[in-house]
Amino acid sequence: MTDTSRALITWKRRLPGLLMTGPAVLVFVAMFVVPMILAFVLSLTDWNGYGLDFGFVGFENYFDAFSSPRALDAAIFTAVLAVVGTVLCNALGLGLAALISGSGAINSVARTVFFYPYIISALVIGFLWSALLAPQGVVNNLVAQVGMDPIPFLTDPTFAKCAVIFTVVWSHFGFNMILYIAGLKSVPAEYYEAATVDGAGRAAQFRNITFPMLAPVVTVNLVLSLVGFLKVYDVVLSLTAGGPAASTQTIVFQILSESFINGKLGFGAAQSVILLVVTAVLGLAVTLSRRGAEKKVAE
Amino acid sequence: MTTTESITTTLEEGPDEVTLNTAAIRARPLRKRRRSKIRTPLAGRIAKWLVLAVVAVVMLVPLYVMIISAFKPQADILQNPLGFSPDSFTLEYLMNAVTSEKFNVIGAYGITLLFVLLVNVFCILLSAPAAYVIARGRRKWHMALLLVFVSGLFIPGQVTLIPVVFVLRMLGLIGTIPGFVLFETALTLPITIFLFTAYLRSVPRDIDEAAALDGAGKIRAFWSCIFPIMKPVVATIVVLNSISVWNDFVNPQVILGPSSGIYTVTTGVYAAVGQYATDYTTVFPTLLLAVTPAIIFFIVMQRYIIGGLVAGATKG
Repeated sequence: MTDTSRALITWKRRLPGLLMTGPAVLVFVAMFVVPMILAFVLSLTDWNGYGLDFGFVGFENYFDAFSSPRALDAAIFTAVLAVVGTVLCNALGLGLAALISGSGAINSVARTVFFYPYIISALVIGFLWSALLAPQGVVNNLVAQVGMDPIPFLTDPTFAKCAVIFTVVWSHFGFNMILYIAGLKSVPAEYYEAATVDGAGRAAQFRNITFPMLAPVVTVNLVLSLVGFLKVYDVVLSLTAGGPAASTQTIVFQILSESFINGKLGFGAAQSVILLVVTAVLGLAVTLSRRGAEKKVAE
Repeated sequence: MTTTESITTTLEEGPDEVTLNTAAIRARPLRKRRRSKIRTPLAGRIAKWLVLAVVAVVMLVPLYVMIISAFKPQADILQNPLGFSPDSFTLEYLMNAVTSEKFNVIGAYGITLLFVLLVNVFCILLSAPAAYVIARGRRKWHMALLLVFVSGLFIPGQVTLIPVVFVLRMLGLIGTIPGFVLFETALTLPITIFLFTAYLRSVPRDIDEAAALDGAGKIRAFWSCIFPIMKPVVATIVVLNSISVWNDFVNPQVILGPSSGIYTVTTGVYAAVGQYATDYTTVFPTLLLAVTPAIIFFIVMQRYIIGGLVAGATKG
């Protein structure tokens, strides 16, 4: 057999595989890989978004991202939001999951009621809570009717930050809860029976059986919450529009407003690259640090 | 955790709870008595119901306020936020929202639904064959390909948005429906290929071999023999995609842009509500219109949605 005919046969054998993976790879490269490389390239320029007028500025944008007070404030608030949101969502999610994991109509109604906001767009949820918490909003109207002073939910920086965190947790803990319920259901019933025979109480059972067995679900929930809350944007836009006095701006909020409103795409790109690295590192770190806890389940 | 097991139990739970027959109800006290041997003190049970009631109120009051306020004039919304009197009931503001020039609701439903449909179709057309090749492949590059796709899970879509705009502009697709659908489809690839590959690895190779013996090529064998078996995982992906495309705001806002005149439900809500946030006779009816399809979808598809999210999350 000649070399060319052999090559031809190899190609014929490979062609279907290439045809089947090719389109997906092409789209992925065009919309993920190329943009990622471009993001890094753009982060080294002072591009304003128009034309091809790039000026190479080295790592200046990165220094700015770490030194400009606004960028730092956004980074700090994003970190607080991600950490507090993750803790609250998981505490609430796990606690409520333990209460309503059983069967029965009331449990299933409760699950639906706690979960439904997850299905609604974050933008709409922000607008809804803004209508409830605004100075003229529903809650302050009720407060006024009781004869108290209005509460500056959205006009005081600290209150506004709390309002953003509350809204994120409100709309999201149901998702964590559903995952925890799925996890609780996967714990074999025999373990509990054995523990009951041994005379272990509810609390002891939760500590010694339920919680360790949930380790993989805990990991998934922590990673998803942390990574998800690092890119909160829609809720902030519709709830506080980043205010008052830029106090509730998150990193993604900054990236998008700097890039598309102020035309500082290079700076926005640098913040994007930083966020990307932080997300990947945190996701990986949580996954790896939870290995030990998960291994115990496998045994 | 045995993921698939727990998903199926979560899924299977649904209908049983809804169709409680009398036998099940009669059987319940028995089960309760047996469980109460592990002693649930009355105080504990009261505390449990109290907690559930408080959380339920916090979850439901916003929805309740949104619904009733959509049918009230501004003064009534302000003075009587939680109450509802038939005297002030009006459909006027809801009709205003439906016919608003700022935000064509019916048009937005249509266009968003079209996007949901297109993204689902393209996502499955692209991902399913690729996942099949990866799942069946034994070479290193198959594994590498899977890793590349899955790494996309750690890339927040918003982060690549700026350069994506640049790429789409070069392709001449910025501000167009094909450009938006292309990016949105790309965002679905990582999780879809991951789930499809995991599923296909559990499909026996015998089917491939049988198809090959009958003379079917690889592509033909996939679409006519393997793909029909993928129904459950395709359903999961359709649910996940539909929710994320329907709720997406940043991508349509940036890629389609206000100048294109193409509004999805979310960008339409933003255009209609964004600047008029204190005119509650606009806010509440618009929000109600935006939320209704999602809530109906949720009620109808509840078990698939929850099952899909659990599958997507625990495998991803």
